[in-house]
Amino acid sequence: MLKHPMLKYLKEEGPYGPRLPLILCPGCGAGQVLNFTLHAVDSIIEEGGAKKEDFVFISGVGCSSRLTSHYLNFDSAWTIHGRSLAIATGALLANPGLNIVVFTGDGDAAAIGGNHFIHAFRRNINVTVICMNNGLYGMTGGQVAPTTLSQAITSTTPYGNIEDAFDLCRLAQTSGASYVARWTTAHPLKATKAIKKAIGKKGASFIEILSQCPVHKKETPVDMIRALKAMTVPIKKAEGSDKIPVGEFCDTPRPEWTEKYETIIEKCTARRS
Amino acid sequence: MSVASLAKKENGTCPPALITPGRHYLEGSEACVEGALVAGLKVYGGYPITPASEIMEHAAQRLPAVGGRFIQMEDEISAACTLIGASWAGGKAMTATSSPGFSLMQEAISFSIMTETPLVIVDVQRPGPGQGYITTSQEDVMQARWGHHGQGPIIALAPCSVQDMFDLTIEAFNLSEAWRTPVLIMAEETVAHMRERLIVPDLDQIRVVPRKKPQDLGIAPEDYQPYGHDLVPPLADFGEGYNINHVSLAHHPDGNVARYNLDMHRENVVRLHEKIEGNVDAIARVESRFLDDCEHVLICFGAVARTGVEAVMEAREVHGVKIGFLRLVTLWPFAENQLRKLINKVGTIFVPEMNLGMMVHPITETLRDRCDRVVSIPSIGALHSPETLLEKICEAVKC
Repeated sequence: MLKHPMLKYLKEEGPYGPRLPLILCPGCGAGQVLNFTLHAVDSIIEEGGAKKEDFVFISGVGCSSRLTSHYLNFDSAWTIHGRSLAIATGALLANPGLNIVVFTGDGDAAAIGGNHFIHAFRRNINVTVICMNNGLYGMTGGQVAPTTLSQAITSTTPYGNIEDAFDLCRLAQTSGASYVARWTTAHPLKATKAIKKAIGKKGASFIEILSQCPVHKKETPVDMIRALKAMTVPIKKAEGSDKIPVGEFCDTPRPEWTEKYETIIEKCTARRS
Repeated sequence: MSVASLAKKENGTCPPALITPGRHYLEGSEACVEGALVAGLKVYGGYPITPASEIMEHAAQRLPAVGGRFIQMEDEISAACTLIGASWAGGKAMTATSSPGFSLMQEAISFSIMTETPLVIVDVQRPGPGQGYITTSQEDVMQARWGHHGQGPIIALAPCSVQDMFDLTIEAFNLSEAWRTPVLIMAEETVAHMRERLIVPDLDQIRVVPRKKPQDLGIAPEDYQPYGHDLVPPLADFGEGYNINHVSLAHHPDGNVARYNLDMHRENVVRLHEKIEGNVDAIARVESRFLDDCEHVLICFGAVARTGVEAVMEAREVHGVKIGFLRLVTLWPFAENQLRKLINKVGTIFVPEMNLGMMVHPITETLRDRCDRVVSIPSIGALHSPETLLEKICEAVKC
């Protein structure tokens, strides 16, 4: 039987039973983002850019965070709601050689984890943050999120959302990210390329993938993916448009946290000897 | 010359990597960090709070010299979380905070119990509730045991001196690695800010417990189960090719959570409980004096042991009261068997604490059939003086 080429990076079986299929609902965008990410990682490994054992996948809590719950055949951790970036920071401090990818959702990254989000980019720790933004809390039943568009009806905004949405790419960029790009699940090749580029950057990178939640939006996945394509515009043509810009927001490398700290370690150990 | 004075002598000059054996004159906060470094501390994630900030400042000064890394995080939640990531990446990690910050760390503590993550958290207790006051307290001893959600067991130690801040910090790291669990050091402002003699033995005489690794047990990556193999499962670090999956939702020994199953959750929670509560005698310690002839006993912990032992000695020598002294070095797991072994039949048990009466409850529960009565001696925000304790003893035994 023909197997999906990325299955080599998943744990299909275990001594306590099957680990697949993914818990995600049919038509969910998170599985697509996993596919993009594994393709990017695969091509880096194949090209000798990094070793498989140096990759670590860390997530918080929410639908997208389930990607690391037990499926990955990598070092991975499914952690505390909102805190994946703080945990990733600690892991890098103990071993700066790790190649850490954080899977997060819009609620996990921008609401409960908002403070860690801005500080991780300000510090420029060597981490690639991939945020699946579906504009709501999927796992808990479709409540409003800081990324929900104005006027949208959700289970906790039954009369329409009176708040404005965060632009996570601009937030990451302003906070100091080295590399920022936004794509959607309707842009698989571009998203994969951006993820690969982000992982290759030394420093904090942010990839936002606008994603569909057909269950809570009560629309078909195909319609939603088409809508994602229609509601976005390449960043170069975004001026004057009321559509959401997609593409690279910034690519401005600057010294990474552990690199800077290394000079302190060198100074301290050299003086002693 | 002490490491601390070296450290502060000249800004930017790094002190020797590890403290030198011999006599030192240090603050409790400094001794805590020096002990941690001897135990192998590699990552410190902190957030400022009075009266715990000195530990963080000393860690910031000292860690680069041993090739470790220090970071000041954006809050106590993230500070605790850095320890989790650091531990998984193979670095021994600690933080220190004070009571309000300790409240913020509770979710990370519960998570660490469930994921069996070794790390050390120091709570330099101050009085509450709320911002409360900034002196000394023992008001978080019940929060240490019950503050985190769920029913995870915890190990918590109570230092009473600068020497203890050094020794018990090393012990905390050893316990956390040996039992693959978070360990709390329930210090008080009193011991953290106290400055007194510290004697450091030859460093090769200090026992440092290594992490139990699957490699050392001959377990191949494909056979490795992060929550299996033994009562204390071996722990693979990130980057070693073991493809470890850390999960805190109900999981099988291999980390698989695919099928919700109450039986697997029960089994796991019972193992976590047994790991600590089934090994109390191996984990918990008490110290005692004058128990052989005692008709009464004073039971205390932390800094109260200092005035407590003085009051007991004076009651014996000056007033002829046959009173014994017992100090809980380990608060949790509670040393129930050891207490029942040491105390057979006494009149009054005195329990002075810097709170309104907390550890008096497990003590009473353990010894209610071994005494006539238990007298709680509370104090808010300050150490009891020996005179106060003596007065209480004399009042109760009519000396």
